[in-house]
Amino acid sequence: MAVAMNLENDSVHERHDGHRREETARLKDIFASAANMPKDVVLGASVITVLGNTEVCVENYRGIIEYTDCLIRVQAKGKQIRIAGKHLTIEYYTNDEMKITGYIGSIEFCKC
Amino acid sequence: MIQAIIRYFKGYVKICVQGYGTERFLNLCRYHNIGIWGLIPCGNSYVMYMSLADVRKLRPIIRKTRIKFRITGRYGLAFFLHRYRKRKVFFAGMLLFIILLYGYSERIWDIDFVGNEFRTDETLYEFLHSAGVSPGMKKDKADCEQIVKDLRQEYNDIVWVSASIDGSRLLIQVKENEDIVTEKSAGETTENSVTEENMTGVVQPEEADDTPTDLIASEDGIITSIITRSGVPQVHVGDSVKKGDLLVSARVEVLNDSGEVVNYRYRKAEADILADTQMVYQDSISTVYDQKNYEENTEQYRFFLTIGDYRITAGFFTDNKNDYELFTYERQMKLGENFYLPFFYGYQCKKSYTINKKTYTNEQIRQKLTEKFLRFSEELEEKGIHIYENNVKIHLNQDTASAEGILFLNQDIGEEAAAEMIEIIDSERNKENESTGTDD
Repeated sequence: MAVAMNLENDSVHERHDGHRREETARLKDIFASAANMPKDVVLGASVITVLGNTEVCVENYRGIIEYTDCLIRVQAKGKQIRIAGKHLTIEYYTNDEMKITGYIGSIEFCKC
Repeated sequence: MIQAIIRYFKGYVKICVQGYGTERFLNLCRYHNIGIWGLIPCGNSYVMYMSLADVRKLRPIIRKTRIKFRITGRYGLAFFLHRYRKRKVFFAGMLLFIILLYGYSERIWDIDFVGNEFRTDETLYEFLHSAGVSPGMKKDKADCEQIVKDLRQEYNDIVWVSASIDGSRLLIQVKENEDIVTEKSAGETTENSVTEENMTGVVQPEEADDTPTDLIASEDGIITSIITRSGVPQVHVGDSVKKGDLLVSARVEVLNDSGEVVNYRYRKAEADILADTQMVYQDSISTVYDQKNYEENTEQYRFFLTIGDYRITAGFFTDNKNDYELFTYERQMKLGENFYLPFFYGYQCKKSYTINKKTYTNEQIRQKLTEKFLRFSEELEEKGIHIYENNVKIHLNQDTASAEGILFLNQDIGEEAAAEMIEIIDSERNKENESTGTDD
């Protein structure tokens, strides 16, 4: 019973943390918009430039989590970017930017 | 492209990494500012390219991530030189190439002219060649200021010249005097001293030619019009003159109050004198002519390359007894636009033919003679000679046909001739001078 209570308490805490994070992000977004500041600098948002369905440039990321021929998972601030497709190749991978070429099928964002 | 060249000069390697923490390896590389390109997953491993300098920084990362690291390819100038280090002639060739490239870049290889419309490139090129400026000369010996001065001095119609060296090319921009064309088209021929050379657009400075000249008749004829600008006319409209007769005298009499001639003044006689003249026209052609019948599909080609006095040919002509035409096409090799090399190439084409004797029909003969006569008439008209009547008739004979007759022309017959100078001794004035001299 005590164990069950603890689990319940943990999930409640997590929900509170999630709410707080969302609230902070929303406020930062509002401030950045009001101050006309670039959001990639203020919020650390990733900049993804897609050229057709063959080229994607990703800026402002943390690192690669997974890289296969048909899926690349990139860690960004607070979320993951999933780029799925075929014959995916990383043209270059530097501290600032990475360029992915190949047949891009989808680009998704998911929580880490 | 530039990045690829820089990478080639710095040297780079292709590496293959394998193991559990390959993604961590990539992220650590990124963290340590190690540039990676051409990253491809290859089964359980990753293949990527990395610069030579960055490979030396990899040791701690490999140790940390515990991956297997293998170099699968080495690229770049450093590896290239190392691989072919024993080929000394090759390196000597490369060195020679660099030296020659440097040496050749020190010279002018092409002369380009811009803005010349009256003067052809060849004319200007020949002048520069005579002034010691030609392709192959050293750049530092090409004095642009001197070239500009020389061109301005040589050609009066060039009002502006600019000479500049652009790489291994000497660029000469000129601006020509366009007014000359306007003057020429307006037909101002007498006062502006438009000489024969004006056809090429040059104005000769007006020479003060004070030599007194008479105008004499260049043909026999009857004067129809005379307009005198300078001098004393000696003939009137309707007068019949012979060749060599004086038409306008350069000698102008100076009279005193009593109407006596006290002196003569001489000037250049100028007048437009038109007269009716006659000219005998005679022309004949043969009624028989040779017609060439080319044999079909018998053209033979021979290609050649001439180097100095030597000629290398490819192909040969078979001997046959027929007559043939030999057509040669030859071109000289050149670098750029003006630097000609002593190499020629081209081909010769031999066409065999047989000759058939043919005779013109009467109609064809008439047509040919008429065409020739009309062409002759046009040439006369271009010279300013007007044909107002002719009685040219065509005579057909056995082997020849002729057109004969007299043309009645109206033309300018004035021709310059040196004037006769007459000295007048003024006896009274001489006497006065003598008396004054004795008084002194």
